[in-house]
This record gives sequence, C-alpha cells and structure tokens, in this order.
Amino acid sequence: MDCIDEATKIKEEALKALMDVKEEGQLGLFFAAYLAKKGAVSGLMSKMKEIPPELRATFGAAVNAARKAVEEVYLEKKDEIEAWKLKKKFESEKIDITLPGRTCLPGGKNPYHVVIDEVTKIFLDMGYEVAEGRDVESDLYNFELLNVPKDHPARDMQDTFYLDGMKELLLRTQTSAAQAHAMCEENPKGPIQLICPGKAYRRDDDDMTHSHQFAQIEGLVIGEEISMANLKATLELFVRKMFGEKREIRLRSSYFPFTEPSVEVDVSCFNCGGKGCSLCKGTGWIEILGAGMVNPKVLEACGYDSKKYSGFAFGVGVERVAMLRYGCDDIRRIYANDIRFLDAFQGK
Amino acid sequence: MKVSYKYIKERLHLDATPEEIADKLTFAGAEVEGIEPLGQGTNLVIGHILSCVPHPDSDHLHILQVDEGPFGVHQIVCGAPNARVGLKVIVARTGAKLPGGEIKPSKIRGVDSDGMCCSLLELGVEGKYLSEKQTSGIEELDESAPVGESNVLGYLGLDDVAIDISVLPNRPDLYAFENVVKEVACLFDIEQRKEEAKELPLNATSFKVGSETSSCKIFSARVIKGVETHASPLWLSRLLEVSGIRSINNIVDIGNYIMLLTGQPLNMYDLDKLPKQELIVRDDLEGEFLAMDGNKYPLQKGDLVVTSDGQPMCLAGIMTADACRVDENTKNIVVEAASFHFASIRHTSNRIGLASDSSLRFCKGINPDQMEDVQRKTSEILSEIAGAKEIEETALYDVYAHEKKEIRTSVAYLNGRLGTFFDTDLILKTLARDNLSPRIEGEELVCEVPSYRLDMDGEADISEELIRILGYDKIVSTLPITQLALRGLTPKQEKKKAIRDYLLAQGLYEVVTYTLVSKDQLGSFRYLNNHEALKLKNPLTVDREFVRPSLLPSLLKVATYNVARQNKDFGIFEVSDIDASDFQGQYLSFVLTGNAKGQGRLGERPYDFFDAKGYAEAILKILGVKEGRYRFMPWSLGGEEMHPGRSAEIRLGKQLVGYFGEVHPVALKKNDLKSAIVLELDFDALASLNATPIKVAVPAKYPSVSRDLSVVLAKDVAFDDVRRSLMKCSPLVRSVEAFDVYTGLGVVEGKKSLALSLTLGSEDHTLQEGEIQEAMKKAMDALKLSFNGEIRGV
Repeated sequence: MDCIDEATKIKEEALKALMDVKEEGQLGLFFAAYLAKKGAVSGLMSKMKEIPPELRATFGAAVNAARKAVEEVYLEKKDEIEAWKLKKKFESEKIDITLPGRTCLPGGKNPYHVVIDEVTKIFLDMGYEVAEGRDVESDLYNFELLNVPKDHPARDMQDTFYLDGMKELLLRTQTSAAQAHAMCEENPKGPIQLICPGKAYRRDDDDMTHSHQFAQIEGLVIGEEISMANLKATLELFVRKMFGEKREIRLRSSYFPFTEPSVEVDVSCFNCGGKGCSLCKGTGWIEILGAGMVNPKVLEACGYDSKKYSGFAFGVGVERVAMLRYGCDDIRRIYANDIRFLDAFQGK
Repeated sequence: MKVSYKYIKERLHLDATPEEIADKLTFAGAEVEGIEPLGQGTNLVIGHILSCVPHPDSDHLHILQVDEGPFGVHQIVCGAPNARVGLKVIVARTGAKLPGGEIKPSKIRGVDSDGMCCSLLELGVEGKYLSEKQTSGIEELDESAPVGESNVLGYLGLDDVAIDISVLPNRPDLYAFENVVKEVACLFDIEQRKEEAKELPLNATSFKVGSETSSCKIFSARVIKGVETHASPLWLSRLLEVSGIRSINNIVDIGNYIMLLTGQPLNMYDLDKLPKQELIVRDDLEGEFLAMDGNKYPLQKGDLVVTSDGQPMCLAGIMTADACRVDENTKNIVVEAASFHFASIRHTSNRIGLASDSSLRFCKGINPDQMEDVQRKTSEILSEIAGAKEIEETALYDVYAHEKKEIRTSVAYLNGRLGTFFDTDLILKTLARDNLSPRIEGEELVCEVPSYRLDMDGEADISEELIRILGYDKIVSTLPITQLALRGLTPKQEKKKAIRDYLLAQGLYEVVTYTLVSKDQLGSFRYLNNHEALKLKNPLTVDREFVRPSLLPSLLKVATYNVARQNKDFGIFEVSDIDASDFQGQYLSFVLTGNAKGQGRLGERPYDFFDAKGYAEAILKILGVKEGRYRFMPWSLGGEEMHPGRSAEIRLGKQLVGYFGEVHPVALKKNDLKSAIVLELDFDALASLNATPIKVAVPAKYPSVSRDLSVVLAKDVAFDDVRRSLMKCSPLVRSVEAFDVYTGLGVVEGKKSLALSLTLGSEDHTLQEGEIQEAMKKAMDALKLSFNGEIRGV
C-alpha cells in the first residue's frame, strides 16, 4: 500500500515542517505547500484515479485523516502566531501610564476662601442669606449703631484706619458693620437670618499672628423670642458640621459692645478630641468664636423694637480657623499666596 | 491686672487654689491669662554658715559648713563672693526643686557638695525687683532669721501668687483688688470678711480745691502732715511686686497700694512746695510742663492740668510736676483723689505718649462714689507706716450727679432672653451674691447697681450677670423657631460663585491680596475707573497708604513673588471690592504667566491672548450675557501696560467693562516678569445685567453640509468681520469657522491666508448641489468685494 504509506509520509513531513513554522510568512508558505488545493496534502487526492477502486475508500479516508491532522495542527499554529502577533502589537503600543493625565488639574483656593466657602455653605444650608457689606464703611455703621460711641473704651481694642479727607469714613474693623446695614435696611422690620463674610482691617503691625487685613464671618439672627439657648444650639450645629460630629462647645462670659450677654466660644479640640495636645495647648479646648445676644441698644439704634425683637450674633476669625486646621503658623503666609502653599488646597 | 492670691485669701477665708480661682474667674468673664508665683522652690531651709574656707582647686569657690537646724550640718561648695562665716542664708537642700532645676548631691572639683545657697533670682524672683547686691551674690538674710525654718518662701513673703486677669473694657472695676475679691466671693458664693474702719481724728482744713472744667467733676484732697519717708515694710513691697510694681519708698508705695486696692489713682504733692494752699483743675493752659521724670512736655488747650496759683502742678492723671514732687525730705503732703474724664486723659496720654497705671485706670473709668473712702484708707495706712501725725479733713469739690442706679426687669424677661427656666428664688439669690440687692415689686424685679459697676445700665446686663454667675452650661440648647423664608444666595452671589468655580476648574488659583497699597501702585492699570484713590489718614506704613482703585497690580505682585520663587507656570485670580472716591465696585482679575500645562510639561505651551479670550467668553457665558450684547474691540486705550496689538477691550455698547490680553513689555519689565496674560473685569457691572433669557431652537431636521474655502486677505482684516459678512451673504450660511491662518512662504508680505469652513443648511429641505454652489459663489463674491480677497481654493 504505497499510496497510503505516502499519505502517512506526507502527513509526517507536513507536521514536521509545521514545527519549524515561526511566523506568519512561513505559515503562508506552509499552507501553499501542503494545504492549498495543489499542496502536497490536498494534492494526494489527485492520485485517487491511480488507486484501484477497491482501495479508494481506504485511501480517501487516509488522505482525509492526514489532512485533518495537519489542518488541526496548522490552526493551532495559526492561533499561536496570531496571539504572538497581538502580544507583539501590545508590546509595541505599551505606554507609560505614570505620565501626567491630559486634563489640567484644578487650581487651589487660598485657605481664606476655603474657610469662608465652607462656613457659608453650612449657614446657607441652615437657611441663612449672605450679606457681604463693603470694606469702606462709615463710622455710623462700624461703631455708632453697634453701641461703640466716640470715646468708648472698646474703640481702643480696634484701632481703626480712617480715610483722609473723608469725614467719618473708615475701613471696617469688623464685618458686624454689614449687620448694622442689614438691620437698618430691613423694611418693614422683620426676622433676619444672615451671615456676613468679608475683610476687616485694624491698625496692627503684621507679624506671625497679626495682620492689618483679616477676614471674619459674622452671623446674625433676629426674631421674636430669640434666646441664648437658640444661640447655643445654632453654634453646636455649626461646630459639629465644621469640625466633626463629636465636637462639644463651652461658653465663657466675655464682652463685646454689640452683644449682651457676650460669650467666647471654645470648641473641644478637633486634633486630640479634647485630651489635650499641642494645638489646644493641653487644655482640650480651642477658642474659635465670639458671640452673644444682640444688645437692645443696637436693636433700637437700627430701628427695631427691642421689646418685641431679640437676636443673637456670632463671629469667627477666618484666618484663625484656617491656621489651626491646616497647621499654618504664620498668618502672613496666607497673604503671600505662594503657589506651593496653595497647592495643598488643589481641588478644594 | 495681676492680683495677689494671698490678698484674696486673707479677705475671704477661701480654701481654693489659684487655679480654681482662675477657672471661676475665666468662665465668668474675667479671663485669667496666667498664674505666676512670686517665688518658687521646695526643700528650702534657713541655714547658718558655720565655716567658710577657700576651695583648694579654685580661686573663687568656697567650702561651707552650713547649720540647717533640725536637718543637720551640711557641706556646700558655693561660688558667691559674699559667702562668709556667720551669714544666715537660704539653703536649697538636696532634692529641692527650683525654677532652674533640681538640686542633687555632687562633687565640685573633687569636693562633696550637699545642697546650694541661693539668691532670690534662683527662687524665680524677677531681677527688676532686686538690688545689684542681691543679684550678684547669695541672699543675705537678717541676723534674726530663724535657722532651720523650712517655710522660707513664707518667711521672705514670697509665698504669693499673681493671678493675671485680662480686664475687658466693660469691667474697669476689676482694676481694683477689692472688687476682684467681691467678684471671687460672688462666684464662690461666700461671705467677705468684714473690715473695720478706723476713725482717725481729723483737723479742720483750709486747703482749697476746685475745677474750672467739666472734664473734672470730683476733686478731693487731704493735707497730711509729719510723714516720714523710708523703705516700705516687706508685706507692702511684696504686694506691689505681685502686681508688677517696684517698691520705691513708703509714701510712693502707699499711693500705688491704695490704687491697686480701690482702683482709684492717687496723686501726692509736697505741700510745702505748692505755691499756694490750693489745687485747681484747669484745661486752658498752654506752654511747657516739666514733669518729675525730668522731661518737658508741651501743654495744649484741652489738657487737664492740676494747678496751684496758676502754675501746673500735675498733668492730671498722668504725671506730677517736678516742682512739687514728693522726695525723701518731704514732711507734709497733699493726697489727691479725683475723677477726670476718660476721653480727656486718653487724648493727652496718647498725644504725649505717656501712659501709667493711673492714666490707664482713668481711661477705663473709675468709681465716682468712693473718694472719701479712699482718702480715709490712705490716711489710715499713712499713719500706720509713714508716721503721719496731723490729718486734715478732706477738701472736696464735687459737682458730679451722684445717683442710685436702679434697673427694673422681670423674671420672665431674664428667662426669655437666656432661654432658661430659673425660678425666682434662685435668681434673687444669685443677683444678691453679685451685690445687686434685688427685690420683687409686683411683676418687676428691681436691682440696685453698685457704684463701681460702671457697665450696667439695662436689663440685658442683669441677664448677663445671672448667667455668668450660674454658668452657661445651665443653658439647654434649643434650636430657634424661625419663619420659613426664601433666603440663600442672591443671583449676583450665585454668578460670582459659578465663575470662581469655573476658573478653579480651569486650574487657576484663587488668591487673596491686601486692599491697602503704596502710592506707586495707584497709577497702573486704571482703565476701568479713573476716580481718585482713597488715602488713609493714619497709615501704618507707606507701603499700605491707599485703598487700591484697581485689582490687577496686586495680582501682578503675587505673580512676581511666585516667579522669584521658581513657581513659573500658573494662573491666579481674585474677585475683590474696589473702592475709590465716588466709586464702589467689585472687580475680577486674573494673571496667567509662563506655560499652560497640557499634559504636565509634555503638552505645555505658553499662555497667550487666546487663553484670556476663552476665559473671558466663558465668564460672560456664565454671567448670561449673550454674544452680541458685548463686543471685544481692538485696543484703543494706549498706555504702556497692555500690548496694543494683542489686547482687547470688552464693551457693552460704548461702556468699557473689562479688558484682557498680553501685558506690555514695559509693564512686564517693571514687574520683573517674562510674560503675563491678564484680564480685569468690572464684575459688578456685568453681574448686574439681566441674563439673556434662554430659548431653545428646534434642532435642524435636514442635514447640513460643510464646505471649505481658502482666501488670501490683507493681514489686518479681522476674522470676525469676515465671519459677519459671510453670515449675511446667504440665508443658507449657518456658521463660519476659521480652521487655519497662515502667513509666510507662498503668501505675499502683508497678506494672510485664511482657511474657512462654512456650514450650510436649510430648515425646510435638504440642500441641492446647485443651491450649495450658489451660496458658495455668494460667499466668494463677498470676500472679493468686501475684503479684496483672492480665493485660493474651494
């Protein structure tokens, strides 16, 4: 049975040749040489007519088996080469994913703005409005209406920049001036619920903790039957949103001309949780706010009937919060606006 | 105000530590800033030097044998030059803890030393209270000092502690020890120990007092004869030291002592040096005043001066004249206790730059009702420790309207204001502790205000007294019930926030800069307003003398600051109030410098005009100002601040509302910058405009086609003019975009090649090729006719 031997021989030969195939070109050549119509394997069929009829079935089966066997290995080889090709392609297309992304990174807000925006949002969410007021104010709104008449000792506490040749005009020493505006301009007199974030100025030499320009956020709520207990609850709400759920506050009696009673508000230290650390100087508490019940004299001066209306007010020092929170020990760094400093607030 | 802990305890029988007192005071509104012991040290004993021999290995050390009574005799190596046999000394025994550290047994150059002989410095006493002798050697105790006494601090009167209170402007009464004692008694709810007033026999007086000014309504004087000047007793000098005052002599010390106790400043005159037996207050003197400090001060009308026979004897409340000062030879004195108007004293004190403990108290306000009491106390102690013999009655000028102040309030008001539920009984008890003598009259609660409480004049004050004594922790938090109302941000505030968020998202940094600037910053970038800048009347420095009339220069300074620190590529912006004479606005500015980061530095390219333009367009879009309402115009404003060919003005009609572009090379150099793309906008003007209402158009139903053409034009033909012209040339033109601008090889000098892409379409049908060609022909005609354009290709 030479023919059948030959089929086997060609099969062996083809499989051997296939073993040497390494890449696509060789695979093509192999296909042409063996599996194409006139290739060695397929070509065996043309010998059919030379085969005696009684052996043709056997021969046919042998050829088919040979072709099937070769084809099988051929396809495997083909897959293998394609996988290898793809692998090569991926290798060549590989990029360095550690290179920077194409979208530019968001800029950073000065912590001054970070704190103002955060506090503002909290009070907006509580249903307050925002009255920014102006940097240049009159003595009337900055002092007189707020129960700080001329020669009042409290004017010593806030040495003021006055404008030259502009009688009674000054740079506001406190954002409370905006509250006086709000109360005077409310017509007819009714409830008020607002915060006044903004800049204020005092004749202080700039050093690590003092700045001739600084920012405050003052809050004011006026209504019928507003009490100190309402102030306390409001500040608790604010402090917990701003500094964490577990924060407590404590009130210490203090003095501001525009409130009576007046309090300083300490917040349990957000660094150590009240155990005592370097941030709170071991006391567990950090002084954050000044607050109080609006002095009836202020209400009356701004046109409110102090028998009917009462209110509370509070104020936060923006830079102080920023410095405590972000570990900045020099207020001048805030106003220097060094990009490397601002980078810490990217996306804020 | 440093108050003596010992004094408080003596007056109160109070068993509380300084820390406990400080805590109570702090929560009640008298914040204690520090607790400072006068002297410190444990394991101290009074010793007696039995022998003193030089140290064999030293030229200045001595080896002492010191008798420490019950503690035995110890050998101490001592370096003090005044160590000698027989001296009574303070010994810090082994294990003693001193401010400087712990005493341990040691070998000093081979000799055992067990303890240390101390100077007062080593016990923590401030050097300013000590003589040179005391600071250069060990303390020399009196011969009578009891050897073996271990309460050395007590023996030396150093066992006191200063409680340093930060006195707030509403509580000037706390500048007096006596009132601090009342406060502590109130807070601890204890009785004060009664003091017995000694009635000294008084002689009639012929001394005259008076005032010719309304700024002095009370003036009292007592003539006291036969005083002797010498050193003060230890207790007195120590009491003064607690308050930070150095002992001078008994007379001066008594003046300070009475002031510390009562808050009433005293002034002492040498009676025999007065030109006349009178003291008259005036405020109309001019000329020079020779003060007891040896300096001359100019007098102005309005300065309060105490005169005698028309001669200034004292700058009221501030300093005595050299002419009548009390000295060691003084025998007869006049003691003045007066009330001068705080504003007057403050004015003079600030003008001549002299302030004292006295002037401070006058400036804060003093009790008008205690002059006689103060005089009595002063006489008493003068007779006790200065040997005062003849004391005359007080000569008094008093036109002050003394009145009993009553405040009427109610329990309901107090609880309402505080949000508390205190019962009447508790309220009455608490206010009584505060010496307010409360009583109920029907619905009302009536309080009598003691004369030292200058701050109280309304019922709100009573609510404060009540809660600061009972403690704010008694208030139960209750959220306010307020009327629901539409509040939140105004449209303008919303717009500002949206623009800030946009610029931040674009990678710009939001900065905050100083409002106050120097004179040389005023002239620059004044395109948006030319109102005169506001000047400060009382600037601190020339660098911060004016309120800035423009914002951009401040931002350029920030850019310069950063570039000098190797931060080269960034954009910064700020929105700020701008004030000038007759002008109030709010500006938005930005500065872009260096490269815009693409993919980090990989895709970087320099910031240019079109970055600013893009941001400007976006900002206007956020403001809701539609294209067409504003125009970007070529630069017409001149100056050497903006590049004339690479800057644009933003105009609403004719009104200039902003500008942007490249900074002029001259201004760049001035600011030490290599590049800067800037913008300044009158945010207020733009944000005040009504936003263009939004109306949606139905999207085109039929497909549009896009055709490109390229045209060569004169270089200065503006694309926007071309675009407008093409938009008008056929109703089919939907939009015109430029996709290439080319000058250079192949284009004649002075010309540019502009590649345009036209989008054509119709609302009611799909365009036919014929229509398209017709429209393109119209477009080309327009380019040829209106712009002398040469069509290069279609």
